[in-house]
Amino acid sequence: MSHEQNHDHDHGDVLPSYYKVFGALMLFTALTVGAAQIHFPVSMGQSGVLINLGIGLLIATFKVLMVLYIFMHLKFDNKYLRAFIFVPVFLFIVLVFALTTLETFHHPF
Amino acid sequence: MSVALDLRHEPVSGINHGKLVMWIFLASEIMFFSGFFGAFIVLRNANIDIFTESSATHLNVALATLNTVFLISSSLTMALSIYHLERNNKGLFQTFLGLTLMFAFGFLVVKYFEYSHKFHDGIFPRTNIFFAFYFLMTGFHGLHVLGGIIPMAWMFVRSFTKKGYTNAKRVEVLGLYWHFVDLVWIFLFPALYLLFPTLH
Repeated sequence: MSHEQNHDHDHGDVLPSYYKVFGALMLFTALTVGAAQIHFPVSMGQSGVLINLGIGLLIATFKVLMVLYIFMHLKFDNKYLRAFIFVPVFLFIVLVFALTTLETFHHPF
Repeated sequence: MSVALDLRHEPVSGINHGKLVMWIFLASEIMFFSGFFGAFIVLRNANIDIFTESSATHLNVALATLNTVFLISSSLTMALSIYHLERNNKGLFQTFLGLTLMFAFGFLVVKYFEYSHKFHDGIFPRTNIFFAFYFLMTGFHGLHVLGGIIPMAWMFVRSFTKKGYTNAKRVEVLGLYWHFVDLVWIFLFPALYLLFPTLH
């Protein structure tokens, strides 16, 4: 198995990583459903809500990265292909931050 | 030395054209769904009580979890079918592509039951802002699943003909699309079904 930069077809054997990613995706699905059932006490206030949201989004991000890098072969493919996914994802993050920041000006919590 | 133009490979980047076009398409797809997610986040925060109440009382987390399992499994079987077609294992290619189709149909069947249950309860997109988003986002995602099933079924049927199906590059491009559909669901599932924490 080679780890050089320009390999076109020689990915080594990808099967073990496919099964590992599948297992991890199943585990993370169970975790995210489980974590959503945890209710933090009122005394924690808004931070309890933010912990729930943070855990859910963090798990989803991990799952998405695994699918992108292993199932969609970004890990093995030409690095220029990554630009096609990271540019729109960056634009999306900018959009969300811009919208939510604007919105908090109108509805101060 | 041959000077013939090789249309399958870009001489500078070395990226297969079909794959490149699919990635460009997926980039536009990310922005398509970004619009929905952006609007969803803003209106969710502005109407958090309606969203929390609607999601908690009317959405079925168990069915959505089952659908998540279906899509994750279909992603695995899709990757495996490409792996075996590249190695000329015709039988295993057909088995895994068939399994992918089955999981995809399973997803749509569960979605059908979820929708018809909502309609039976008198819940429609016009019911409130949460359900407007629920039907819009899951509806477009469901259409994407259907859009993946059609070429997949065509390849599956073709593989049983005398000529067979041997174009691994094309299945790989369809695979990229299919994993993307899985990817959208990975965010849709927590956004609509799970992430409405309340204080107790």
